[in-house]
Amino acid sequence: MRRSAPVVLAVAYNSFFESVRSRFFTLAAVFAFTAVYASVLAGVMAVDQEARLLADFGLALIELTALAYALFEASSALPREAETKTIYLVFSRPVPRWAYLAGKLGGALLTAAVMLAVMAAIHVSLLLFRGFDVPPAYAWALAGTFLKLAVIVSFAFFVSLFSTSPVSTLVISGIMWTLGHFAAEARFLAERAGGLKGFLLGAALWLVPNLQLFNVRDGAAALPLGLPAFFSAAAWTLSSYLGALWLLSRKEF
Amino acid sequence: MAGRSLLPAAAVLCWGAAAMSASSYRSPFPPPSELRAPLDGANGDMLALAAGARRLFADLWFVRLMQYYGTREVREESAEPGHEGHAHSLDAGGHEHCDHGADYGKGSYPEFLPMARHIIEVDPAFTAGALYGAASLAFNLERPAEAEELLTYGLKYSPKEWRYLTVLAAIGYSKAKDPAAVAATIAPLLKDPDCPVMLKQLAAFLNKRAGNYGAAAAIYSDIAATSKDEAYVANARRELEKLAGAGAGKPR
Repeated sequence: MRRSAPVVLAVAYNSFFESVRSRFFTLAAVFAFTAVYASVLAGVMAVDQEARLLADFGLALIELTALAYALFEASSALPREAETKTIYLVFSRPVPRWAYLAGKLGGALLTAAVMLAVMAAIHVSLLLFRGFDVPPAYAWALAGTFLKLAVIVSFAFFVSLFSTSPVSTLVISGIMWTLGHFAAEARFLAERAGGLKGFLLGAALWLVPNLQLFNVRDGAAALPLGLPAFFSAAAWTLSSYLGALWLLSRKEF
Repeated sequence: MAGRSLLPAAAVLCWGAAAMSASSYRSPFPPPSELRAPLDGANGDMLALAAGARRLFADLWFVRLMQYYGTREVREESAEPGHEGHAHSLDAGGHEHCDHGADYGKGSYPEFLPMARHIIEVDPAFTAGALYGAASLAFNLERPAEAEELLTYGLKYSPKEWRYLTVLAAIGYSKAKDPAAVAATIAPLLKDPDCPVMLKQLAAFLNKRAGNYGAAAAIYSDIAATSKDEAYVANARRELEKLAGAGAGKPR
């Protein structure tokens, strides 16, 4: 295990720099900058609530941009390596599959974290430039966004190993992200429905990660993020990782 | 090989543990059955829930409310420089009189309550939005019952919100035709960053009418210094000039 740690780091490092060098990363960064700056216009329309709107708009855009990029990367990373035969080269060396997958996931999460940090720096600069204070729970909101990304990116890695194309992985992961925010409303509907329908809906809810648990940005999560939130995020991420590892171990490379 | 076969079981166990730890989560938001989207807002609400962006969509509803309320129901304007944005009345002799838009904000605005209520249905923590809505309903549109309904709904999700209780008390005094008590009741609210500028304007007006020129000048100065609403800022400056002319510019 200890001997594999450098391998995990090497794969993660390689995966991270590959992401940063890609044109899509630059495009995402430019889009984020433009979108966050454009939120100034919306802020002006809110008159005395400009600070609140600017903060909310920026945080939502940061999350959506990071999500789009991280999902794109996660859904295409493994199929791309299989298609270009790079994965054969990697596994011809003494690289355990678990280390390879951990490195890939680590690289994707590191990229997401760097994207969040860069966009947050732009956003905070904009808020300060406009003469507003940074919202008190700002760092927790970013932490919550990162936990959401960790859960959904690891899920995308899992799906990418059995789906037919990166697009279908993107769609399935996107649906999971949406359902994750609906968890509280779905539970309400299950309680209302009662009977067999309610039971089935309630059971189906166990399959969906509750992303509202991390949604500090929206004031839905407890402040500061508690142990259950970190534990849940870690368990969902580990679960998807183990599922992906099982699928990867069954493939002939 | 044995380890490989254990992987799915371990994954399921982890997933179960995560779901179990999240099962105690209770949403702080109103249930979907309470979301009554006015106009064509249902799509936006769907997006707000799907993206976990209730705060942002509550902000957008607030902007829509201000645009709705900012649109004059009957558009009458004076062409005279310095008097744009409000109408001048004519007396029996045909002479034009200016009251600097004392009727500003008046009208029926039938969608005001549903739109204001929807802001806090989407995000019950948006206190400033609820205060703006309630104050406009009670003191501008003269519909205190609707303002009370809005604040009562707000209190359902924020039962310890003192600002709602303060405005409710002010509405009570307003119905009892006691303007001095209204001004005294809303005074603690004026220093709060979430206090709508419209309430500050009301407090300043009531203080001026009660002869508390110093207090009125202090509130107008605050509006001129902190508000981003140009109409209120221009009015505050005008009032400050008048008060300074009357020798009452300094707070007592």
